[in-house]
Amino acid sequence: MELVKRNYYWWNRWAGFALLILLAVVTPIGTILFKLFEKPGSSWSHIVDNLLFGYFQNTLLLLIGVALVTFLLGVSTAWLVSNYNFPGRKYFEWLLILPLGFPGYIMAYTYVGILDYTGPIQGFLRNTLGISVRGSLIDIMNLPGAIFILSITLFPYVFLISRTSFLQQSKTLQEAASLLGSNRLNTFIKVALPLARPAIVAGIALASMEVLNDYGTVKYFGVNTFTTGIFRAWFSMGDASTAIYLAGILMVFVFVILYIESLQRGNKRYSFNASSHKPTARVNVSSGKKALYFSICATLFAVSFFIPFLQILYWVSMTYHKVANADFLMLIYRSFSLAAISGILVVLFSVVLLYALRLSPFNWVKNVTKIATLGYAVPGAVIAVGIMIPFLAFDKWVFSTFFPNYNPGLIFSGTLFALGFAYVVRFMAVGYNPVDAGFQKIGIHVNEASRLLGTRSSRTLWKIDLPLIKTGLFTGILLVFVDVLKELPLTLILRPFNYHTLATKAFDMATNEMIAESANAALVIILTGIIPIIFLNKMIKNREV
Amino acid sequence: MIILSLLEITKTYSKSKEFAVNKVSFDVEEGEILALVGESGSGKTTLLRLIAGLEHPDAGYIILSGQKIVEGNLSVPAHERKIGMVFQDYALFPHLTILENVKFGLKYVQGDREKIAKETLKLVGLKEDFSKYPHQLSGGQQQRVALARAIAPNPKVLLLDEPFSNLDAMLKDQVREEIRQIIKRSGVTAIFVTHDTRDALSTADRIAILHKGYLQQIDVPQVLYERPENPYVANFFGKMNQIIGVPTVEGFYTPFGFMKDDRAKDFKNRVRILFRPEHALIKKSHDQYLNGKLFKVAYFGDHQIVKLADEDGKRISIKTQPNKKFNPSDRVFFTLKEFLLEEAY
Repeated sequence: MELVKRNYYWWNRWAGFALLILLAVVTPIGTILFKLFEKPGSSWSHIVDNLLFGYFQNTLLLLIGVALVTFLLGVSTAWLVSNYNFPGRKYFEWLLILPLGFPGYIMAYTYVGILDYTGPIQGFLRNTLGISVRGSLIDIMNLPGAIFILSITLFPYVFLISRTSFLQQSKTLQEAASLLGSNRLNTFIKVALPLARPAIVAGIALASMEVLNDYGTVKYFGVNTFTTGIFRAWFSMGDASTAIYLAGILMVFVFVILYIESLQRGNKRYSFNASSHKPTARVNVSSGKKALYFSICATLFAVSFFIPFLQILYWVSMTYHKVANADFLMLIYRSFSLAAISGILVVLFSVVLLYALRLSPFNWVKNVTKIATLGYAVPGAVIAVGIMIPFLAFDKWVFSTFFPNYNPGLIFSGTLFALGFAYVVRFMAVGYNPVDAGFQKIGIHVNEASRLLGTRSSRTLWKIDLPLIKTGLFTGILLVFVDVLKELPLTLILRPFNYHTLATKAFDMATNEMIAESANAALVIILTGIIPIIFLNKMIKNREV
Repeated sequence: MIILSLLEITKTYSKSKEFAVNKVSFDVEEGEILALVGESGSGKTTLLRLIAGLEHPDAGYIILSGQKIVEGNLSVPAHERKIGMVFQDYALFPHLTILENVKFGLKYVQGDREKIAKETLKLVGLKEDFSKYPHQLSGGQQQRVALARAIAPNPKVLLLDEPFSNLDAMLKDQVREEIRQIIKRSGVTAIFVTHDTRDALSTADRIAILHKGYLQQIDVPQVLYERPENPYVANFFGKMNQIIGVPTVEGFYTPFGFMKDDRAKDFKNRVRILFRPEHALIKKSHDQYLNGKLFKVAYFGDHQIVKLADEDGKRISIKTQPNKKFNPSDRVFFTLKEFLLEEAY
């Protein structure tokens, strides 16, 4: 019998591409882990003796503080908007997400400006009431201040995810609780909160990752953490291996948080019976309580978004004639194109990874592709160091091998290529998840049907899968775009010499006593950041309906 | 002529140790309709996917019109097999019109594709506007489009995954007959999967029974019903009585008396004696016959079902003529025309 020799069933080109992408994405983290086994640099002992304890203490306190405050702010407001009727409830549902568009470092120096001697509060006190305060009204440039700033920008993570969880809890559960004589508060503590726990912890874990990633806020406030330590080792001391050691310790924090999160989730995946899955009915309360709930939400919104946003607008109105010129437009153009290219690359790679997974006959491939999304848990500074080192080594090798008499310059290190690569690694998960959701939603059968009709897998992807997951692709690009635009620590380390993005420009100006001028770049970042928030909130809403 | 052969096809899924499909072999004749019948988890859908090339077996060969398409690690990819499939959820392309859906598979077909697509849509009896989109059609109409899309490229084999499961009972009889007609008219060889024996009996030429990954029996419906090779197959088609027998040299001791049978000497352990209600014949009193106490009689117009109980209250059913008269607590004597023996461990 004629044997029709054909392909190996487990091999297709997609698997090959996916493998390459995986390898590239894992390289930075792998480098850090690998280099940890080498001898520490010369400044390591100095750091251990004088700085390490402070880094550790500050990082830990920052984490605990932000976790507590985001929990209180996020869960309480989520409970209010999902359970009570009060004026403005519908608007607070999305207004309270807006702070996510405010990068921490911008919030930090905006608040310093608000509370400053020349700021609006002191101005008001001085000019209207004749009260004069020396220096800053409240000194927030310290650890509690950093906790405050990071909490008001990160609590929406907890708010968003616990609101979704509260909304998913069935009405009957809460009705059962109240029939058993439990009042509203008691139901909240005994029923709703435990049921929402996995979601809440996931939200806090997300916020914690952002805390570990933060550089701008702590740097500006002079709070020394592992991130600032990495920068100091890298830039001031020029000691790469010490930076790696610090990055390695920072990674331990990340793994502990990820571990705690998965541990507490365990097997508890509370499922809600579909038939009793009616949304919780919102309760009408007395007008006194209505006023109270309104003022809680309104205060939080004012503090976390409205007041700082007004301050930024005020600064912009004062300085735009100085800043808004061709250079500024160029800056916007460059930042936007960098962010857009990164977004497109992330989504492209996600499609390849997920399509390889879709065609793969093996289940374990699923777990392997997940590795590609780990970058989101890894602080930007760590990724930057993990990318810089192999690139530097590669450049050095190229010059010593091919141009021994030539002055060593840069090929990859310090180029936009390295920066874009780092963005892809860092924000892979951001684009991967919406693409994954899209693929899952359309199911595998349309793809299989197409291939059975004689269409090869690449054409099937183009003709069937991609048109059907357009929304997912677009969402992925948009989310990565916004994240890249906001990104600071990674950009600071990897950007080419004298190259600026909106984020680095804003930070640069703010740290050089040009806070008012920096507001122009900040405003662009914030406004762009708000678009997907509103867009995504609409999508969640639609799903609820 | 044999168009498709499976040889010792074996497939396990990494998660479970159990075989999804274990050493399954069968041939399919050109132009016939074969039904793969089994409960969920019997491996029937896996078999379909293996034939389609959507899964790869751990071992075994598949031969399609004289060519090995699966051997070892080598496989002809799904898009080159020329196999059509109708998915349970139809898997119509939602962003394409009905006509575009059907034309999609005609890319490499010679001739007027538009005409072929339209003719096939007419063949499946779809009278809708072909420029509509799938979501504008009813479930039954979507199924016709899926069927048209699968048969339009003239596949070597047509696979249908649970084609009747999404239809309500009222429609089922009609649709079964129509789909059978369409398949026969197009002349395509078809294999379909179902968990419902009535689907298989009314639509298929031959039926393969699968249980826990093993092929139990494959044959025409009459043989499966009348000469099932094992109790599982027997149970699949209609009621089967079961009584325990203890073997001696001459026959079996049962709770319903002694039954003479030469085969008894071949058994060491207790056996299950299985028989259909209509294979027990009610007789006049005789000490050689099996007997039980009358428990209940149910009258069905054209027949009666007589229920007998043994000393322990275990019951069996016997089908008999409608005109036989019984009195309460009668002792009823019967013999078995046909039965199966199975060792009961």
